[in-house]
Amino acid sequence: MSVLVIAEHLRGQVRDVTRELITAGRELGPVTVAVIGQEPGSLVDAVNLDGVAEIVTVTIAAGEFENDAYQAAVEALIADRQPRVTLLGFTVNSMAYGPAAAVRLGLGFASDVHGVALDGDAVIATRSFYGSKVSAELDFPGADGVMLLLRPTVWAPAEGQGSASVSSLEVAAVPSRARHREIVEATTSSDVDITQADFLLSIGRGIGDKENVEMFEELAEKMGATLSVSRPLVDAGWMPSSRQVGQSGKTVKPTVYLAFGISGAVQHLAGMKTSGTIIAVNTDPEAAIFNVAQYGAKADLFDVAEELEKLF
Amino acid sequence: MRTVVCIKQVLQLGDEVEFTDDGLDVDPEYLDPALNEWDSFATEEALQLRERLGGEVVVVTCGPKQSEAALRRCLAMGADRAIRVEGAGRDPFSVARALAGVVRGESADLVLCGVQSSDAVQAATGTALAELLDLPRAAVITRLDYSGAGTAVVDRELEGGLIDRVEVETPAVLTIQTGINEPRYANLRAIKQAEQVEIDVRSAAGGGTPAYRIRKMFVPERGEGAEMIDGSPAEIAARIASIVKERLA
Amino acid sequence: METRETFAGLSDWQIGLWYGLIAVSTAIFAWGVLRLVLKYRSGRGDLPRDRLVHRVARTVRIVLAHTWIKRRDGVAGLAHAMIFYGFVVLFIGTGILAFQDDFAKPILGWDFWQGPFYLGYSLFLDVFGAFLIVGLVILAVKRARKPKRLDYTRVDGVTSRYARWHYEVGDWIFVGSLLFLGVTGFFLESLRIAETEPSFEKWSPVGWIAAQGLIAIGVDGETAGAAHFRGWWVHGIAALTFVAAIPFTKAVHMMTAPASVATRNDRAGKELVALPPNAKPEEVGYGVVTDLTPAHLLQLDACTKCGKCHEACPAAASGYPLSPRDLVLDLREQSEGTLGIRGRLTVPPLFHSDENLLGNPIRPETVWSCMQCMACVEICPVGIEHVPIINNLRRRLVDQGEMDAQLQTTLETIYESGNSFGEPKRKRGRWTKELEFEIKDARKEPVDVLWFVGDFASLDPRNIRVTQALARILHHAGVDFGILYEGERNAGNDVRRAGEEGLFVDLAESNIEAISACEFERILTSDPHSFNTLKNEYPALGGTWDVVHHSQFLLELFESSALTPGKRLGRRVTYHDPCTLGRYNGVYDEPRALIAAIGCDLVEMQRVRDNSFCCGAGGGRIWMSELKETDAPRPSESRIHEATALDRVSTFVVCCPKDVTMYEDAVKTSGHEDEIEVRELTELVLESLELEQVAVVAGSAEPDDTATT
Repeated sequence: MSVLVIAEHLRGQVRDVTRELITAGRELGPVTVAVIGQEPGSLVDAVNLDGVAEIVTVTIAAGEFENDAYQAAVEALIADRQPRVTLLGFTVNSMAYGPAAAVRLGLGFASDVHGVALDGDAVIATRSFYGSKVSAELDFPGADGVMLLLRPTVWAPAEGQGSASVSSLEVAAVPSRARHREIVEATTSSDVDITQADFLLSIGRGIGDKENVEMFEELAEKMGATLSVSRPLVDAGWMPSSRQVGQSGKTVKPTVYLAFGISGAVQHLAGMKTSGTIIAVNTDPEAAIFNVAQYGAKADLFDVAEELEKLF
Repeated sequence: MRTVVCIKQVLQLGDEVEFTDDGLDVDPEYLDPALNEWDSFATEEALQLRERLGGEVVVVTCGPKQSEAALRRCLAMGADRAIRVEGAGRDPFSVARALAGVVRGESADLVLCGVQSSDAVQAATGTALAELLDLPRAAVITRLDYSGAGTAVVDRELEGGLIDRVEVETPAVLTIQTGINEPRYANLRAIKQAEQVEIDVRSAAGGGTPAYRIRKMFVPERGEGAEMIDGSPAEIAARIASIVKERLA
Repeated sequence: METRETFAGLSDWQIGLWYGLIAVSTAIFAWGVLRLVLKYRSGRGDLPRDRLVHRVARTVRIVLAHTWIKRRDGVAGLAHAMIFYGFVVLFIGTGILAFQDDFAKPILGWDFWQGPFYLGYSLFLDVFGAFLIVGLVILAVKRARKPKRLDYTRVDGVTSRYARWHYEVGDWIFVGSLLFLGVTGFFLESLRIAETEPSFEKWSPVGWIAAQGLIAIGVDGETAGAAHFRGWWVHGIAALTFVAAIPFTKAVHMMTAPASVATRNDRAGKELVALPPNAKPEEVGYGVVTDLTPAHLLQLDACTKCGKCHEACPAAASGYPLSPRDLVLDLREQSEGTLGIRGRLTVPPLFHSDENLLGNPIRPETVWSCMQCMACVEICPVGIEHVPIINNLRRRLVDQGEMDAQLQTTLETIYESGNSFGEPKRKRGRWTKELEFEIKDARKEPVDVLWFVGDFASLDPRNIRVTQALARILHHAGVDFGILYEGERNAGNDVRRAGEEGLFVDLAESNIEAISACEFERILTSDPHSFNTLKNEYPALGGTWDVVHHSQFLLELFESSALTPGKRLGRRVTYHDPCTLGRYNGVYDEPRALIAAIGCDLVEMQRVRDNSFCCGAGGGRIWMSELKETDAPRPSESRIHEATALDRVSTFVVCCPKDVTMYEDAVKTSGHEDEIEVRELTELVLESLELEQVAVVAGSAEPDDTATT
């Protein structure tokens, strides 16, 4: 079973998810990693890891990701290498070209996959439905190949030096209809950098009103913590995006992560689940955050917060 | 100008679950329908485009009769027309094909979809749709700058708080991220009036392989999970305080 | 013969001039009144015409007995009565004289204004004239002490385009001009009497005594006569000016106040008026001043700025940018500016807008600060309907989608899931699982009592304990009851009060459909908000049933001996009248009787019964963000301060789920945790009956300790 992994990179750095894809792919068969970019050669070493049999570079005109170019490159790679499974990370960039290539080539497709297995010759992907409350096993009858977008941070990043052969593939240039202009920092750099904090007190939708933010700000200060938030509070405009923990915010790894009123949406967990000690307080006993936390309490946030304030 | 918005009525699961007899889906009794959160942002974006540039907003969904409630919600927000296409499978490619059959006939300047649906979270339908329509696309948009023709400049929300600013040729398909705007309230008076509006119902042409097939659906086993702290808020707080102090020491 | 000459000392042309001036004054007055009538007719709809005789009769009773004016301020009531009757009697007296002089004597040859009639007339008018002056002096003194009620400082932070000093000046001019007329009237009388001193004029005691005083200081007949002549013109012209000015000054309340009382809808506030079917956006609520009904426009003009609503309002007292008085005055300024004397220009929108040149803009926050508690409507002496007016302002804001983001989310949540918590529908009946008996499903079998539980009572963890307590009591008493389980949606009372009329109708219709399919005798509610809307508003939508609140029902059970009190609790308690149970629906005594029945000592707070002070959650405010703009304590905290000031009261008794939540929070945030405890009435009854409280609820509340109180 041949596996094709499409590397993801930004500003000259290969992203962690690529290494996770390699780990996942290794379990299925010999892994070919494709590096698509303006100067793909400079990224080859970063993907030459244990378990990678082959690295193929594709040179494109664009300096950063452009979906038409990637789609053409991936289609050419699949035509050339005929992999059984093509792995992409479930990322913002993959969303812009993966499904297009898959529907065009008649591949099986599933995204946000967190488990891959083989049942004889069939690829079985496991993913969640209905807001992560249930899981399902999927198969892809009748498809020649399968494209899976894997959920980041589920597989461990591959390590160890590999000895892959390196080659290149020429892909005819296609008109790029969505052209990259620039990368912009969304956050103002003047605010606190939550990735540097040792102790984060994080609040989510469960705090209810905008007015309650102040209470937790004060608590954070008293406890010596930095305040961070989950996405809904940024969407609502209660806090700046520089404070956001999660996939579209910052990935943090403090010694202590104390969460109030955060249910644990996948994208949030991806941003903090490697923290040292996670303590979660939530009124919902089924909240997903309790799956990654070391300690939890099913209690009223405000009651606990009030009591905590007295102790610091 | 015409904006077509593709929406989905999602099904929300509470904390109790039972499966259907074949074990391939959750029993509908346990699911509550709602308009997909991303799609209200997409609809709002389309309405704002209409306010600026004039024209028409058409909402389209692929789903059974009960999904008309989601269409009516968008009509109540101010959309002009609604189309429902039925008879397609529920995976992203079947849905995209069904939608393409309708959208093709609409000569849209922009096609807006939500990034993903909250019940399936595939984030694939919009991009697949773009491919079937052979239109340029951009995904995960948090800002749209469009003056009615030519190209649009969009901000794509990358991971880690970065923005990828992209110039997209139009007509195009854009998938809209939450937080791009503040969706307006659809008051009940407008919703009731929307109930009088005739929804155009079409049948999906069918054909094409689904993206996947569900073999089995189940409640996942939970790992150990957290060590739960019991007691009064004061007791919980005391324990948390001691854990924190110990770890940071 | 005891009489006096009218127009003494005036030549014919002067009398002619006088009548000419009367004509001018009357014409101006009539034009002023016409202008007002036209203004009211610019409103939307008609003045209420139902039961006209009843309305008029009731108005006459209320005005003559000063029933509404004397509430909560007996002194003002008495003083105003003196002014009112003084004015009325003097007015009638002048009328009698005019009738005699211009009609009876010349046309009928009937001269009755002499002899005993004249003496009686003189005495009567003198006494009431004195009342007039004394009443005015009392009120002037009250006003001079600058009571909080009459402080016109705005609470909404809007810098007034029309500075408010002109209100104060206007008020003093009004008092002053009436005093001037009264005093000059008596002065004239004394001069007249001093001129010739007819002995029978002792029947005008005030004038007689004053005349003696004048004579004592050396005023002779001729001087008196000359002064009388000049003074008469001064007084006369002043009086005619006053009359002409009535429709344009504060004096207009003499007409508009009784008219306003006559328009008053007794169900104002507790049953809100529905929208016309298929209402267009411009028909929804109030967005410009011409949207107001004629009754509301009239009510605005009846306001005398007495400040009783301002004093009673919990929002104003707690630093919110709302004073009902200011809202009424702002709307009045708008109506004057667009429809009144300042000219008929284009009608601007009511809410803050740059083009709004004519009135003070109304901040949406002002409208959203209202708790719809009805304290203002309840106390207003002239029957202004602030709550329905605010509700209509909210309807327009909601229709345009201009509302607090949290309110929007909650309304959307209620629409999608039928409850304000966003819980799945199946969770509605989950609270019954903890009980050791099953509760009947009223949708499936007939019951005696259909219990409409309500959102908060079904889904809020703290209030579920109360609901379960009530269930246990009902079970223990052998009541045949059932609930609707998932068939129940939010009753809609607060949705309606937040201004989302369409959603209210949707909720009510679906609840009515669910209830109508059941077989039962009565409906029991555990939430006063559900109680209000099921009782008062569902009938208009087709659902008319006998509805009781749990405090009434529990009392019934005691009185019929279905329940016998067990342990006498012996607590010293105070009771908070919930707005929707008390002020809205007059249920004050049953909860108190219940408290007595279980052996508690009731110590009343100062603001009780119809003067109860809202907890701050009503009108949908519990779903909105905080709008308080000062450091003043929140309404619920203020109430707890009031309770803890009572002597040795340990328990704060409530019977509304929102009160439970608001006051338990307030006890903590105001730092009175060690002094007072909040208990729902049902919980105390449970304690008295010595039934077991439920141990643990839904995994989220701590185990209840039944050993302690």
